[in-house]
This record gives sequence, structure tokens and C-alpha cells, in this order.
Amino acid sequence: MSALSDPREAASFRFVRCGYADGVAELAYAFDDGPELIERIRFADAPALSEARRGAFDAALRLLHFVAGISYYKAGVPQRIVVDGDAPDADTAELLDTLYLHGLAEFAYRNGLDLRGRIAFPRDGAASAPAASLNLPRRTLVPIGGGKDSLVAIEAIKAVGGEATAVWVGNSPLIAHCAARTGLPTLNIGRELSPVLFDYNRMGAWNGHIPVTAVNSAILAVAAILYGFDSIAFANERSASAATLEYEGQEVNHQWSKGFDFECRLHDWLHRHVAADLDYFSLLRPFAELAVTRAFARLGGDYFDAFSSCNRNFRILGPKPADRWCGQCPKCHFVFLALAPFLPKPRLMGIFGRNLLDDESQRAGFDALMEYQDHKPFECVGEGAEARAAMYALSQRPEWREDALVARFADEILPQLDASELALEPWLDAADAHRIPSRLAGALDDIRGA
Amino acid sequence: MNQTVSTLPADAPWVVMKFGGTSVASVERWRNIRELAAARRAEGVRVLLVVSALAGVTDALKALCAEDDASARTQAADAIAERHRALAAAMQIALPERVGTLLDGLRQLAERGPEADGDPLAWKALVQGHGELLSSALGAAFLSAQHLPTQWIDSRDCLRAVALPNQNTRTRTLSATVDAQPDAALAERLAAQGEVLIAQGFIARDENGRCVLLGRGGSDTSASCFGAVLKAARVEIWTDVAGMFSANPRQVAGARLLRQLDYEEAQEIATTGAKVLHPRCLSPLRAPRVPLWIKDTNHPDMEGTEIGPQVREAAPSVKAISTRSGITLVSMESVGMWQQVGFLADVFDAFRRHGISVDLIGSAETNVTVSLDPTENLLDSDAVAALATDLAKVCRVKVIAPCAAVTLVGRGMRSMLHQLSSVLAEFGQLRVHMISQSSNNLNLTFVVDEDVVDDLLPRLHELLVRAGSLRSDDSQLFGPSWQALYGSGEQDIAPAWWRGERTRLLQLAAERSPRYVYHLPTVQARIDGLKHLQAVDHVHYAIKANNHARILQAVAASGFGLECVSPGELAAAKAAAPDAPRLFTPNFARRDDYAAALDDGATVTLDALHPMEHWGELFTGRSIMLRVDLGRGLGHHEKVRTGGSGSKFGLPLDQLDRFLELARTHDVRVQGLHAHLGSGILDAGHWGEVYAQLAALAERIGSIEILNIGGGLGVPSHPGEQPLDLNALDRVLSEVKAAYPQYRLWMEPGRYLVAESGVLLARVTQDKRKGGHHYLGIDAGMHNLIRPALYEAWHEIVNLSRLDQPAIALYQVVGPICETGDVLGNDRRLPVSAEGDVMLVAQAGAYGAVMASNYNLRETADEIVIE
Repeated sequence: MSALSDPREAASFRFVRCGYADGVAELAYAFDDGPELIERIRFADAPALSEARRGAFDAALRLLHFVAGISYYKAGVPQRIVVDGDAPDADTAELLDTLYLHGLAEFAYRNGLDLRGRIAFPRDGAASAPAASLNLPRRTLVPIGGGKDSLVAIEAIKAVGGEATAVWVGNSPLIAHCAARTGLPTLNIGRELSPVLFDYNRMGAWNGHIPVTAVNSAILAVAAILYGFDSIAFANERSASAATLEYEGQEVNHQWSKGFDFECRLHDWLHRHVAADLDYFSLLRPFAELAVTRAFARLGGDYFDAFSSCNRNFRILGPKPADRWCGQCPKCHFVFLALAPFLPKPRLMGIFGRNLLDDESQRAGFDALMEYQDHKPFECVGEGAEARAAMYALSQRPEWREDALVARFADEILPQLDASELALEPWLDAADAHRIPSRLAGALDDIRGA
Repeated sequence: MNQTVSTLPADAPWVVMKFGGTSVASVERWRNIRELAAARRAEGVRVLLVVSALAGVTDALKALCAEDDASARTQAADAIAERHRALAAAMQIALPERVGTLLDGLRQLAERGPEADGDPLAWKALVQGHGELLSSALGAAFLSAQHLPTQWIDSRDCLRAVALPNQNTRTRTLSATVDAQPDAALAERLAAQGEVLIAQGFIARDENGRCVLLGRGGSDTSASCFGAVLKAARVEIWTDVAGMFSANPRQVAGARLLRQLDYEEAQEIATTGAKVLHPRCLSPLRAPRVPLWIKDTNHPDMEGTEIGPQVREAAPSVKAISTRSGITLVSMESVGMWQQVGFLADVFDAFRRHGISVDLIGSAETNVTVSLDPTENLLDSDAVAALATDLAKVCRVKVIAPCAAVTLVGRGMRSMLHQLSSVLAEFGQLRVHMISQSSNNLNLTFVVDEDVVDDLLPRLHELLVRAGSLRSDDSQLFGPSWQALYGSGEQDIAPAWWRGERTRLLQLAAERSPRYVYHLPTVQARIDGLKHLQAVDHVHYAIKANNHARILQAVAASGFGLECVSPGELAAAKAAAPDAPRLFTPNFARRDDYAAALDDGATVTLDALHPMEHWGELFTGRSIMLRVDLGRGLGHHEKVRTGGSGSKFGLPLDQLDRFLELARTHDVRVQGLHAHLGSGILDAGHWGEVYAQLAALAERIGSIEILNIGGGLGVPSHPGEQPLDLNALDRVLSEVKAAYPQYRLWMEPGRYLVAESGVLLARVTQDKRKGGHHYLGIDAGMHNLIRPALYEAWHEIVNLSRLDQPAIALYQVVGPICETGDVLGNDRRLPVSAEGDVMLVAQAGAYGAVMASNYNLRETADEIVIE
């Protein structure tokens, strides 16, 4: 093995090769002539690949190689991106440049880097013929994350009689537990990062947020061709498209790869390069967070003691609310606030095990959600105006209005706001922009409660 | 098989034995029932078995009732039939005719549906009652086939439900109440049917002849109703646990079995949290004074809990702490309205209107606060919102949740209040929303935030024992601990080393007193214990506990590192064991201290932003450890807790991102995370929690290689306290390690390694009586050992000169310092002691000599090490 040197000193990042055999995809990268960084994706009980799908599979696998490289590229962000073997075509390079630039915007902001002008994939590969339809089976892969969103999506697909499989990447007992509750068939895909990355991290490699939803999307595109699914239904809301902040003229959105821009780009790219009948979309795209929390509240008790949107990765499950909700992170704050208008207060307390809104020490966390004296947190949370609407609704409710942070909102923040912009109802409507295929369009009515 | 041949006299007493769902679900468990029933019968009593439905069947029947569709209902009925057929097959008996008839009846009921007879509630009750009818019919056939002739009787012919004024049709049918008066005629009729009978729990008949259900806990209630009707010698509730405990064993492993309770105490414990018995089942037994025993089916010889009418002569004692979670408080604030006639009636009428029942009530001049239990109505409807809206029209409302009610139960609670100061101090640190004490003087309830309860309960139990309020020393009242009965068992506690070294110690004390003596083999034994922890990669001994050079050398020779908190300690560590790795973990230290430690080659731990913000360049190019505050503290005393915002240690988590940013700016590598909760923790689970929390944090920081979960390993001091279970600790840690194998695990115990190795020897100076107190003065005081004064620490004290004499005197053991607080031990039972006697203060090896002063210009004790 070549000696390890600091990836921040490297001149180039190389996409070395990718391959697939016996259910395992191998993705190899390197900095300059340094050791290979090999990531492995394990597809459980993978069926034999039919010749008819071979071309589509290879295209999807190549995309996965390019997309998953972002975890390694960011360790050094060198000046040059090199693709050993065939270079991507212009269409693909465009998608990748956009993904790397926007997906790493928060990473760049936090590390004081400017990636503009630095990210340029080679783009002189030959363009392929438009992909044909593969007559993929009419069933849907639904990624499940253990939080409220994917559960709402799953229940909506079930409600319209759609055939679906709950899928997740990586090992998480909490997700496995939630997936079992859905009653759907499940698929767990393994992902092993290259251990060399950890060595680089210890040497002080650049570290920070990567657009993991893009990586998972690319993994699921491969899975859809391999196992035979004609659709991949994510559960990303409308608010994911809103920027977290603007920094030196560039929008920084923590959730960029959960946003509509990326959804459209990948959706179209898959149609053109992989299969004309493979639909990639988010079922919750038309909805704001509040519409989704309302739909989740309506699902009833089966998921209340199993789900968690908390950021902390709970590897060891326990029966207590504190075993699923840290109560400190922006996700805990937001989900608590967004569920509060739609659940009986004692029920909400049963989920979280504590009342975050009657706890003075959580003030800064809720202020940030409402973008009061702070920017929105770098997290997958709703918009500031949405948080303000939820808080306003609570301040009008006798069972909530005496709680410390609700009372403070009413006393201190509310007088500075325009009350006409605080209504809850507008957040509950569905927008038109989405890429949901017609056969699942009925699921929208289910979520809307129509 | 032992045959029962003799015939019982007409007046043979009855014993009612109740078995629950899991006890009747398999043939193995039925064999067990057969043995138990035959054994009772052989004692010359009539046996009435009361059984529940097979485990899961009642739920299946409820699900059947909820189906709208007839074919779904019949399918459900068929599945239930299959379960009973399978059990009959396993019992190797033909399907009894009665079972066949019942199954046919059930299928017809399922087909016809709730509306067929125009009484859906009666239909529901009859369908759900089939579980018990079936299990008892199978049981009768099996027991008879096993040579224990058993007669099946129908509970509905014996138990008569009465309509109560506060019941509606629904509760009269599905949660009925039985009028359980002794009925000699019925007893006679049943006696004529046989010597072993089997009947159903859960069901009865009402005045109109309909089958009704007894609601939750119904089978226990059936058993006690039978007990009352038959005026039985006793009712035995056979379950999967030996009885009631002094706390929920899932929360307090050291909870003690309660051997004897009177009805009221048991009712209070059952009502306030214990799940083993439904509170409803005690009241039928009270008037006829029928005792109730709780017994463990799997350990029939194990003693259980006996509940009866007896109020035995005993010192007042807290019997149990129970908790109920999920409680919602409604606090109503108003000025001067409460005295207005009808105002409170209006307020409570709102609760009635919204179907919300009130449990506890507390009131002040301007506030009334009530507690609500977590009913379905509360959790799944908008009842609370609607109630608050109504109440808000007349007063200011606050809905406080989630809360838990922590109740101390014991007869004569008020007479124990003076002993509860440490318990009250514990509550003083929490948000206590309400305190309630009823006039029956059986309970004292604190309503607190729900999330504190899991940590609070074990501590309260320990404090009650230490305060002498829970008289665990009274073996009439308290049995073994849950741990001893069901856990890994009581650990063998070796007698303290000094008992074997008495002659030598007396000799040493004769030379000079006061003096500390350290026993090196005991230190080595503790070291060896920690070395066996598979999950721990490296141990640093916290030398602040005891920095005697011989001890440092022994620790270092075992491969442990040394953890230091000051330049002085670093120097001591280096002098005694130059090659042992040094870890520097100071708090609010000077800049120079860090610089010196870095020069010395020690691994440095930071625990604040300040050093990074102001002296960042000092650490450039270095690897450091970061101590964080996970926001909670634990330990045996407020002053030894080192987590939580009330303590000065650790970086608060909301400053973590800023710290990491600064570290990157200054090119400092954060190689490890450290947290330390406090001291004297005896429950292994806590380190697992700290470890898992640190690991979850570490995942967000690329550079972390080491997690240091601190020390705080408790040393049992009070008699009856269980030592920390190192095997359990290793299991807990290994579980976390398996989830996060990428991190090396460090610990840094201090007191654990040395406390038991040391004793403080002193000699009696004077003796004084003052009022009710008898003071025994010794020549060691708080200047030698400050832990009792500083932490209220309890150290065992013995008269080494008179170790074999009976301990009949009750002393306050005090030192020579001019401070009221110079007390080494309160209320100690000791032999009558005389000037010059050698006294031994145990467990003085940690934080003894190192914390000594020469206050009052008294000399410090010297330190002797023995092999």
C-alpha cells in the first residue's frame, strides 16, 4: 500500500473504476497515486441480472460511482477531477458538477472553502442513445428512514393499493424496527465506506456534510434495475428546497439533494440514460412539513413508540422516549413543534417523554427554527415561517399557551410579526410541482386527508 | 403421579388458586398447575382453580369483535379454535365435548355478529368470555386425565354482578362489579361437586342473566370474589414473580420482596404503580378477612407476598416506592374565586363533561392543581384541549406534562417525615409540581417531570434504606432483593481485610494515632477486577483519590496509566512511576499548567472553550481529549456530581461545534471524547448510556479514536448494598462496543481502586452524655477524614479493641475539631467503649489522607502501607 499523505495536499481526485459481481458493487477512488479508496455496496439476495437490463444497470452503476465519490472527494477537494477510463458525457457531467457544487455548499461554508470553479468533471465522453423502456414491474421502492416522512409516504402508497418495498441503506436497528411495523416487504442494502477514509480523517482531512440523499438515490436506482422496480418514492417535502442561508452570493441548502431541483435533474437523467419507465420522485414534494406532520398524527398510535426523526444515531434501541429522541437537536425541536398542533398534548408527551416547549434551556433551539435572531439550522427541518405558524397556533391554545417558550413567543416575538402571515392553514395545502407518476397520484389525496 | 384418595370432611377449608394466561397456554405449564393443585389438595383443603384465557386469546377475541365483516370474524374464530385444538393435542387428550360445543357456539356468534340479538354489548361480552370458558374446559379434562379429578364449574352460576349507580350500560357489561358476600349455601353446593374444581376468571352474570365481563385484571378479581364468597382459607395468585417489591425491579434491581402487607398498604402499592396485582381485587377480601398470597409459578417453594388483615407490631417503615408515568397535571390559577360557592363545582363539572377523571388534588389560596392518569380518552381525543378551553374561561390554565407520580407507601407515613430529609433534599433538586398526602397516612406522593424518574428511583430507594426509613433490616417485613431472587444472585462479599489483620492493626494504633493503613493486596484485587473487563482498552487511575507512592507504583506496574489534575499530581505521578502514561484532566487550570503538562508529555484534556479561544496556539499540532458535559449528573451526593449545568465541569454540547471550529483553525486534533457523570454509581447501566451517547457524538467528529467514560465506579458502604457487578458492567460496555467498534474505550476510576484498601485508626478520647445523645470522642476528626462532613458519606466504624463484644450502646462518634460538623458517624451501634480503645473507620483509602488539613493546627495522620 502506498504511503498515506494528507489528501488536502493532493492535486487530483481520481475515479479509478467500478464493478459489480455477486450482489456487491465495488467503487474505487484515489487521490493522485495514493492508495485506492474502495467502497462496497451490498445488495442482499440479489437476483441474476438479465441481459435486457444489463445496459441500464451499467449506466446506473456508473452514476453511483460518480455520485458516491463525493464522500471521498471532499476529504481533499483537490483542483482536478480525473476519470480513469471513459469520461462522462456532457449531460452527466452537468448533473455531477451541479450536485458536487450545491451538495457540498454547506461543507464549503463551514470549512471556509470556495468550490466554485474548482468542480469540473471531464465531459467529453460519447453521448449514449436515449434509454428505452424496460417494462419494469409496477412496484415501488420506498426508502425508509425511521422518521415520520417515509412512514406517511408508505401509508399513502398502501392506501391506494400500491405495491411497495421498504428499503434502507446501512445498519440501523431503529429503521429496521420501523420497517417491520409497516408490514411491507423490506430490503436492507449494506454500504461500507473505505476504511482509508477514516485514516485520512485522523490525518486532518476535510470533513463535513455531504448530500447523502443523492448517494442513496443512486444506490436505489441501481437496486431498482437489479430487483425490478419501476419507481423510487422518496419522502422529501417542499421545504427541503428552501435554502438554509446565503453565503458570498451562493445559496447554501443543507437539504439540497432532498430539494426539487435535484429531484428533477435526477428524474430526467434516469429517464434519458437508464430506463424510460423508471420514475424517481418524492411523494411528499407538494407538501410542507406541517401537512406531513398532520398526516402523520392521523396515522395513529402504531408508529408513535417506534419512529424517530432525531439526528442522533441510536444504535442501541430501548423502550424509553429518551432512547429515540435526544431532545436537544433541531430535528427533535422541529418535529415536536410541528406535531404539537395536531396531537393531543398528553400523546405528544408520551412520544418525547418531556415537554421541550416548557423548558427555558431549549429557547435558542426554537428561536433558530423560527429564524428569530438566528438562521435556520443546518438540518432537515421546515421553513422558519412554518415554525412560526405552528408556534402561533399553540399560543392560541389554552393547553399550550402557558408553557414557557410558547408564552415567551406570545410576549416577545409575536408583537414583532405580522399576524396575517401566521395562519396554519396555508401550510396544509398541496402545491402542484411534483414528479409523481399518475398511478400514485391518488396517494396525494390520502396525505391531504381529502 | 400421586393419587388423591382420601375424602375431605364437609368443613374442609377452601383455597382459591388463580393462574393467568401464560400459565395456561402450554401443556408444560398445565403439568405445573396439576402439581401445585395436587399438593394443596394433599394438604387437606378443597381447591378451586380460577383460570384466565390462553395468552393472546382475549386479544384475539377483541380483534374478532372489532371486525365488521362476518367472514373475517369466522376466520378469526377458526384461528382461535385451532389454538385450542393444538393445545388439546399437545395434552394428548381428545377434544373435550364441552370445548367442541363452546367452539361451535363461538363460531355461530361470530357469524351472527353483534346486531343479531339487538344487544351488541352482551354479544361482545359473551364472545370475549369464551377465552376463559375454553381454557377451563380444556384444563378440567387434562387434570382429570392426569389423575386429579377436576370438576368444571361455570363462574356465571356463582358470581353475580351488581349495577352500581355510577356505571353506564357499557361499564355494567364490560367492566362489571361483583357483589362478593360470603355464601354458605353456594360453598356447600360447590363442595358437593368435588374436591378440585375449575372455574373461569373474568366472567359473571348480571341480574338479567347476561354474561358480563369484569374488565381489566378481571381474573384476579374473580379469584378474590370466589375467595370471599367461599370464605376461603386464602386466595393464591400464581404469577411469574414472587410478589410485590419495595420498588419496580426493572428500575431498582436491589428492590426487596415485601413479605407481609396489610390490605390497605397493598392496595396503595397496587394503585400507585405495581402491576403484579390489580387494585380492584383486594376489596372483596377485606370484610371476610381472607388473606391473599402472591406466588411464583416457576418457583413454587419461594416465599411470596402475604396480604392480610394483620397490622403487626413493627417500627413504622416505608414499604415501597411506586411510580406512575404519563401523568398530566392541570394547574388552575385564579384570584380569590375558590371560596365562592359553586365555583369549584363548576370547574370539576368541566372535567366530568369531558370524561376526564381526576386523581390527585392539591390546592392553595389561588391555585388548584389536579393530576390526570393517561387514559385513552386523554391520549387519543381532543379532551385535554377542550377541557383547557372551557377552564380558560374561568381561570388561568396550565397543562403540565409529561409527569410522573412518585409515591412512598407505608403505614404511619407522617411519623417518618423527620427521617426523610435526604429524600426531600433529592426532590429539592427537581421540578416538583405537586406533593400530596392523604389523611389515611399511607402515602406521600411527589409529582415530578417524567424523564427524571428512571434515575431518581434507584437513588430514592438507596436513600430510604440509608436514612433508616425503609427498614430493610426487618426480615419479617422484607425478603430478599429481586437481584438475589432473579438476577445473577447476591454476589459473595468477602469479609473486609482488616478483620483478618486485627492484631497487627492494634499494634500499629498503639504506636501512634490517628493513622491511615493501606492494604496493598486489596488494591491489587481491585486492579485485577478491572483488568478483566474485556470492553475496556485502557485504564487511568485517578490519583487524586490516593497518591501514595506505593499505590501509584502498584497501579502502574499493572499497566494502568495515571490521571492527574494538577502540576503537583503530574510531578507525584512522574516521581513514583516515570514510565506510566499520564493523562492531564484539570478544570479551570492556568495556561501555564497546560503548557507544563504538554512539555511533560502528558495527554491533555480540555473542558472549556476558553483555552481554545485564547491559547489555541499552545495546542497547535497536538492531539487532545475533550471533556463534554452530557447534561446530567449522577452520584451519591450533590457535591460529587460532575455532570449537569449545576456543575463546573465539561464543555456544554451547544458549544461543541464552536470548539471543533477553533480546533481546526489552530490545527488541533481532537482525538478523544470524555464525559464523567459523578461518583459512587453502583448501577452498571449508567456507563453504557454515557458510552453510547459519547459514541453517537463522536460519529459526527471525524478525528475521534478514543472514548473516555470516566470513573465513578461505586463502592458499597452501607450494609446490604450490593457491590457494582463488574460482569454486568462488562456486558453493558461490550454491547455498546459492538455497535461502535471503531473507538478505543478508556476509563479512569479512582476511589474504586483504593477505598476499601484503607482504614483510619483512632483512639477513644472522651465520652459524654448530653440530652438523649451519647457522644464518643476519638482522636481523628474532620481534619483527617472530611468525607462524612463534606458529603454525608457513611463509613463503617468499629471498636477494634472490642470487636467481639455485643454492640449495645448507641453513639455519635465525633472528633476533636471545633466544628459542630466534626462528626464521623451518627447513631452507631457499638460495644460500650472506653478511653484508649482503638476505633477503626473503614473504607478510608480514598479521599482520606489526600483531603486532610491541619485545621485547628492539629497534626495530620501518617500513612502506613502493609502487604
